Amino acid sequence: SSHEHKLNFTKSKEVCLSYIQDAMLQKQWKRAAEFLTSYVEALEKDYSREPIGPSEMIWRIGTEILCHHSHSSMREFNCFIEQMKTLGIKRYLKVCLEHVFHLLCNGQTDEAYQNLSLAESWRFGEQAAIQDKEMKLIRAYRGLLDYHSWSKQKNILLEHGLDGFADLSVEQEMHSSFRKAAVNLKEIIKIPGVWDLFVKCYVDLLEFYGDHNEAHQVLNEYAYNSKFPANPNAHVYLYQFLKRHGESKKSLVSALKILHDIAPSHELMIDFNTMLQKSKKRKKRRLGLEVIFAALDYAGWKENAKAWSCLARQVKQIVISDKHLDWIKQEWNCRKDWWPAFHFSRYLAKRNWQENKSLSYEKALVAGILLGKDCKYFKYVSHQGCKAQVKRFRMLKKFVNRHNPVYLRICS
Amino acid sequence: PRRGGTGEMWEPADAAAVPVLPPCAGCWIPSPSPQDILYRNSGCRKLRPGKSGARLDFAKQLGHFFMDHPEDAFGSMGRLLHKNFYLGNSKLQVSVCLGRMVLSPSIPLAVSTSASSSLQRPARNSTIRMTALMEDIDRLEARRGCHRQHLASRLRWFSHLCREWLFEVPLGLLADCLHEELMLQWSDLLFNDSLTGGALAWLPPRDTGSCIGRLVHPGGQAMNQLYFQDMVLEKLPHTRGFPAQFELSGRIWQVAAAQVDGEDFVGVRSDYHCGVWRVPGRTGAVPTPLQVIQTDLPASCLTVSPHLPGELAVCTQSGTMYLWNVETGLQQLRHDTETMFFRDHSPWRWSDFTAHPRVLSCADRTGLQCLDARAPRKCHFDLFKVGEEAGCQQGERVVLPMYLGRAHPSQYLVTTQFSVYMLDERLPLVPMLKWAHMMKAPPLFAQLMPGHSGRSHKVVLGASSSQELLLLQYQGERYWGSQSACQLAGAPQKLHSIAGCLQHLPTQLPHRHHLLQQRLGAPAAGLAATLQEDGPQESMLVFQLSEAGDVFCQRLTHKAEAELPQESCASPQPTPAVPSPAAALQYRRWLRTLFRGCGKPPQHTWTPSLSQRRLFTRRDLEGPAGPSALQSQVRQWLRQVMREGGRIQHWEPLALQPPALPQPPEPVGSPDPLSTRLMEAWSGDWEQWWEERTSFSVAQRQQALRERRRRQKRARARRSLSASFTSSLTYQSELSELSDAGPPLPSPGRPPVLSQEGSPPASSQLAASPPPSPAPEEALLSSQSLRCRGIPKERRKTLRDYLSVWATEPPDSPELPSSQASQLCIPSSQSQLSSASQTRRKRPRMGF
Repeated sequence: SSHEHKLNFTKSKEVCLSYIQDAMLQKQWKRAAEFLTSYVEALEKDYSREPIGPSEMIWRIGTEILCHHSHSSMREFNCFIEQMKTLGIKRYLKVCLEHVFHLLCNGQTDEAYQNLSLAESWRFGEQAAIQDKEMKLIRAYRGLLDYHSWSKQKNILLEHGLDGFADLSVEQEMHSSFRKAAVNLKEIIKIPGVWDLFVKCYVDLLEFYGDHNEAHQVLNEYAYNSKFPANPNAHVYLYQFLKRHGESKKSLVSALKILHDIAPSHELMIDFNTMLQKSKKRKKRRLGLEVIFAALDYAGWKENAKAWSCLARQVKQIVISDKHLDWIKQEWNCRKDWWPAFHFSRYLAKRNWQENKSLSYEKALVAGILLGKDCKYFKYVSHQGCKAQVKRFRMLKKFVNRHNPVYLRICS
Repeated sequence: PRRGGTGEMWEPADAAAVPVLPPCAGCWIPSPSPQDILYRNSGCRKLRPGKSGARLDFAKQLGHFFMDHPEDAFGSMGRLLHKNFYLGNSKLQVSVCLGRMVLSPSIPLAVSTSASSSLQRPARNSTIRMTALMEDIDRLEARRGCHRQHLASRLRWFSHLCREWLFEVPLGLLADCLHEELMLQWSDLLFNDSLTGGALAWLPPRDTGSCIGRLVHPGGQAMNQLYFQDMVLEKLPHTRGFPAQFELSGRIWQVAAAQVDGEDFVGVRSDYHCGVWRVPGRTGAVPTPLQVIQTDLPASCLTVSPHLPGELAVCTQSGTMYLWNVETGLQQLRHDTETMFFRDHSPWRWSDFTAHPRVLSCADRTGLQCLDARAPRKCHFDLFKVGEEAGCQQGERVVLPMYLGRAHPSQYLVTTQFSVYMLDERLPLVPMLKWAHMMKAPPLFAQLMPGHSGRSHKVVLGASSSQELLLLQYQGERYWGSQSACQLAGAPQKLHSIAGCLQHLPTQLPHRHHLLQQRLGAPAAGLAATLQEDGPQESMLVFQLSEAGDVFCQRLTHKAEAELPQESCASPQPTPAVPSPAAALQYRRWLRTLFRGCGKPPQHTWTPSLSQRRLFTRRDLEGPAGPSALQSQVRQWLRQVMREGGRIQHWEPLALQPPALPQPPEPVGSPDPLSTRLMEAWSGDWEQWWEERTSFSVAQRQQALRERRRRQKRARARRSLSASFTSSLTYQSELSELSDAGPPLPSPGRPPVLSQEGSPPASSQLAASPPPSPAPEEALLSSQSLRCRGIPKERRKTLRDYLSVWATEPPDSPELPSSQASQLCIPSSQSQLSSASQTRRKRPRMGF
């Protein structure tokens, strides 16, 4: 019968949990809280072998309810969390971390910092070693808060520095913040992972103190270490860093080249294309054409007038110079079966004309060259343009008509 | 933190979901329940889905096969053997005349002639009479449900002989197929992945001002009709005009739709066929079917490209994936029977489009890959992997991937049975967001409603078997890497399910309630959602389709921040408790249509019936045609009484008091022994009563013994005197015994008028006959009487059983000879019996 009792207990526990879930999903926080008080009994006989035990359940549900309940205060919330910390030693640090997030979301930075420091000094036999991952995160977030106070002090100093008045104590405090932040931030970004926020802060610190080499190295490591996930942001940061420090075009191009390989649809591709178009090297200009074609493959770029003007400019250049038509031909070859429907349908011509005239101009130019003067898109837009007596469109019509043979060569 | 900011407030406008379409004509056949498949005895055991401990009821299903497809199972063997089985009633005789054998009486001439020409061996040897066997089978059928069910030895013998060869289908093969099918059904019952994606699509109105959209849904009894129904979105959405209807050759599992260049493309997936329709932008335009493809293996996925018109992605089970263009045809992108990242038995595959029109995602239960259609073998990368990177639990599997292109061009949603993941294809493998949805069943359906200009995007997740619906809001920035990360906004919200409206329906009769419960509780089969703006009010409409073909809809209204008082931000007003009048009207209308359609369910009331043929020979049963004068008189009388609305007064006492009282003789008017005993006990002199009683019973017993002896003597004397009188007399006593054993049924043929007339002879008979004796003696006597009437021993018991149970009037009763007027008081239900015994009795005398 004890088995039966156990079974009944588990059953009623599950039922209670489903009631709580039901209430929470209908945003009836009061009802959920009432059920939760009954659910607390589940703690008494915790036989479960499930991945999420009752104590964790209570923590999660309670936090959620307190976040939304109309009559809850921050003090109550803190009180609840303290209880939860002692209830579940196995996830002490996790609870701490979530608590800190909550405090930060409510603008209580100092309390958050205190909590982090407390958590950092927490020792509990083996448990502290098991929760090593969380401990690292706690240190990292403390580093982040140190960085935060550092940048605040820095702003104060910069303001006052202009007046010629430097507060020594503030400066000292700032430096100590820097040291504390740097140590912790440096630790976390050694572990493979996505640490965009920490890397940015750390680089900012290093840059301020003029340690460019270290910063460069950190960014290089973050971008190129194969243990880290392929993160486009890492390359963006590297590129921005290099650009800030006036590095050579070559290194900028190589940074963006990798970004292009990882994320051909990144918005920096426009910068990349303009950079490459200006280049004197044929190879680079060729790459530029590739980059802009690849970017326009993506649905998100469909109506990007800037990108279309980049492409139009480059295509026009090539047509006028009558050199490297084979580049266009090659790019066009793998797109000719779907770009017309994707970019140059009659429906889109109408819509683009209505919504964005300059976009339709650029697109019409590209369409006219790639698909000839009989293409639907070009025909519609040039017709509308001429009807509206816009000079630009008349020029466009003339240009395309003149260069119609190009189309035949691209197509062949 | 995963959650940031407050989400938008969406409040349900009504208490429950409301039907938007009339229930489809014809009755819905519910899909099998666990009870249908599982072995009955294991029903009490708890089913654990994880273990393969399900014991399938194999024998029952095989029995169903033999019953449902006798033509397939026994057809040809039956045709071969029908010459050799004789089903007639008379004895099989062989007469030989001039070298020709003629089987009399009922072997067709053709057989006999062919037999004469080819066979020279006697046909008698190759023909058996099956009548008795058939009767045994009939009896077995009739006794189904009876506890004392014993197999006739003849049947056992026959099945033993024929088990090996009687059916056409090789049993081993059939068993394999059946087992496979049962396993399939069982796994479908646990989790039916054919439904993934859902079979409901909403085609939004073309111009923003219009409120007429189109609902694409399957219907019909087999869910093989495709409907395009115009819907007017008002407070309660309602249909407009008649739907465009297409009949397909298979059950529709999925309806997928996407809008490209102002036209809607609708892809429809059934098991072996996929089709695509184009719906032109104008309202009221007729949808045109474009193309249909057939697949060898069941298709598991069909998605419509949001980028290019007439382009779709198709996956078949076990790993073939195609890009299907209406103009250029099919292009195989991948063929791999193995799963991608680790071994998983599920043949389910899925594919969807990505931000790049030539790059398609390809999914199985273990994860997602993206591959370039231009070079599918070379260019691919992993988008999502069930494993450590995503922090997956053990046993977690991909259930539904979905491209969220309408909200953000590079975002992806992946649901598993435990969690929801948001992915960005630019940073593959590392989910941007993970949230444990805690739904009871894995979410098979998802719908996205993009929020524009900085507002949150809404996703509705739907499960099939539990009908759960969950509304999530998330905020993803337009350009990745800038300020805001991908976060859930606000708390998730539960929406009404179809089954939830049951409590708001008017009260029904229990069987209808049960029917409704079953119907409304049918697993969900699809989900569609749309946002609609009418003036300042913004509302969200969520349609849910059930496997029964019902489409229910619920509306949620948006509460802007400004409208809300600060307090209610945290605790919104509860949902309305009762449905609005309009919804109630809709419910009533729906119910009316439903019960009109389903009012007459096919009645399979299988009343056990007993053939009389095996109790008596035909000659026994032969009687004069037409009802007797007595019966017709009684019927007339009955009709008259019914017309007048009167009561039948006379026959009641007669029915309850058969001429021979089975009770031990008690002083007339005195209460029954129990009452007297109680009375005595109350008054306190119970002991005395007991004394009296025991002495009385001793005296009674002595009396009874004396009676018996006397009766036996008299019977012996009578037998020699007049058999007919004896028979009638013994019959009466037997009848009294029978009516004692069975409930005293008032037989409709009993003549009340005649009973008055007939009572003098009955009473005189009673007076003449000795007082009735206790039951054992009666039984002895009756069996004696039966024996002396020539009814064989084996039949007596059957006869008695028969009479005790079937005390109803047989269709035709013989007319009684007028000479036996004394028998007129016998209830007509038994009169035929007596006449039968009469004839039996008479025959030997005639032979003398």
